[in-house]
Amino acid sequence: MENDIVIKLENVCKSYFLANGEEIKVLKGVDMEIKKGEFVALMGESGGGKTTLLNIIGCLHPLSSGKYFLQGENIGEVRDDFTLAFIRNKKMGFVFQQFNLLSRLTALKNVALPSLYAGVSKEIREKKATEILNMLSIGDRTEHKPTELSGGQQQRVAIARSLMNDPEIILADEPTGALDSKNGLEIMEIFKNFKKKGKTVVMVTHTAEVAKFADRIVYMRDGKILDNHYKLKSEY
Amino acid sequence: MFLEILKMAGEALFANKVRSFLSVLGIIIGVSTVIVVVGIGTGAQKQIADQYKNLSATTIMVMKQMGRDAVSSSKLAPEDSNLIAQNVANIKDTTIFISGNTTVAYGKESASLNVFGNYVNFFDIGNLELASGRLINEEDINAKTKVAVLGSGALVTLFGENFEASQAIGQSITVNSKKVEIVGVLKENGGSAMGRMSYDDSVFTPYSTAEQTFLGKTAQMMIVVLMNDVDNLKTGMEDITALLRIQHKLKASQADDFRIFDPGSIVGAAQSSADTMSLLLVSIATIVLIVSGVGIMNVMFVTVAERTKEIGIAKAIGAQKQDILTQFLAESVILSIGGGMIGALLGQIIIPILNKFEGWYVVPSFSGVVLAFTFSAAVGLFFGFYPALKASKLDPVDALRSE
Repeated sequence: MENDIVIKLENVCKSYFLANGEEIKVLKGVDMEIKKGEFVALMGESGGGKTTLLNIIGCLHPLSSGKYFLQGENIGEVRDDFTLAFIRNKKMGFVFQQFNLLSRLTALKNVALPSLYAGVSKEIREKKATEILNMLSIGDRTEHKPTELSGGQQQRVAIARSLMNDPEIILADEPTGALDSKNGLEIMEIFKNFKKKGKTVVMVTHTAEVAKFADRIVYMRDGKILDNHYKLKSEY
Repeated sequence: MFLEILKMAGEALFANKVRSFLSVLGIIIGVSTVIVVVGIGTGAQKQIADQYKNLSATTIMVMKQMGRDAVSSSKLAPEDSNLIAQNVANIKDTTIFISGNTTVAYGKESASLNVFGNYVNFFDIGNLELASGRLINEEDINAKTKVAVLGSGALVTLFGENFEASQAIGQSITVNSKKVEIVGVLKENGGSAMGRMSYDDSVFTPYSTAEQTFLGKTAQMMIVVLMNDVDNLKTGMEDITALLRIQHKLKASQADDFRIFDPGSIVGAAQSSADTMSLLLVSIATIVLIVSGVGIMNVMFVTVAERTKEIGIAKAIGAQKQDILTQFLAESVILSIGGGMIGALLGQIIIPILNKFEGWYVVPSFSGVVLAFTFSAAVGLFFGFYPALKASKLDPVDALRSE
């Protein structure tokens, strides 16, 4: 059903220009559809454009050409900061490889930050942040600063932050890249659970072990999608 | 939400205590300087105003030319005074007096004081008021009586502190070794029309007695003319000059053999020089504030560069440009206002300390605090804006990539 499509990309291109004016084409016409509640893994070679594609979906990058429909609305040409910030704040939740928590703030304040920018009162947002941290089994670490937490705990805090404003889409860039395999698998279990809550997940990874948690693997090479339904080799 | 961002800005500054403090040091110094300097300026103005409060702005004084420009024939005569009174228009009153330094003694206490030989209307022209006893009257002048009226300072010099003016009446002192009876004591008057020569530290005697007994021919003679209006001061001076040149039979090529001036303009000059000094000091303090603003700008640039990743994260989770701008602008304004507050406090501490020193007169002024405060906040806003704007315009992906 067309209504089920959350993210739809049509011939999306992205170029960078070097200081000498040389054009670097990172994405060379990407077509892609992601359904509501789908867990998609983006795989491919380094420099293949996975992260750039994720950043475009997350409205961190403007696209050079093509169309980007988010919940049926073409937002590919939107450039105003207010709208883009609103989308990032309410529609998307980001999870990064290096966690990207603010070291000055406690776990609780880090998690609550997206709601601060959304203008939610302190009382309400800290109550919600505590609930999410409890749900992710790190409710006993709310007052710890990132440096006082292990990698696995930091990534849980980062995931909690991405859930803060109840976004429909979770974007993850190598979320297990800085973790050992045990912690990595635990994080993937959390991601798998998002599906039950109807959240759409787009995750960049180069690890097959992680990618196998996804419903579907999209394989990229040289700025193009090679395979929208990539099959892992059977040994994983 | 604005308050929360403000709080975050405060926390960020607190995390870098030493740097924050160093960057506001200039503001602290600048603001406290402005406050002290405005206090010094106000003090000087007040001092001048106090000193000359009894000086009539319509006074013209004529005296013998002295020093480099002296002419051998230079001499004023009592007739000059009468001539002025009769021939110059718009005059309210005129008087002549002689004065000189001579030894005045009471018992074992003796001092060299300024002694005046004056007429009755002198007290009126000089705005001198009686504290106790009586003034010199016509009878004293005619009879050449040996009486004296003391200035408030002269009373202290001869009789010591805390001596009641009324107790001095009837006491005998010696002026130039001649016995004289005190008939009156004046109230404190402040500065006189003759600059450093204060009426308070003077002894007043009848003109006739002084001329004959106390001062003799060496005394300096002066004519005081009181015009009826400040507007007539200039023409009055011109008329008197012309009149005296004719009277003294001066040729056109010759310079004046007398000196004519209006003491009111001395006050104006003193006030304007105090103003100039204040302006100069405030300018220096302003430069200090501007330089410290550049310092804050520099620190804010470093802070933005250091926290680029943080800015990227904030943007990725939904911060608008405006939020980032607000936060960094808040940091620089908190810095400068904080510095302003410390500076204002420091100024209030320095002022009483300065006043303990001899010759210092600093008046704490509210306007100084307001001025310094407004200026420091403006410095923070102005110099913080560009770094904050730069931070808000960072590309989120580039910012996230930085380490």
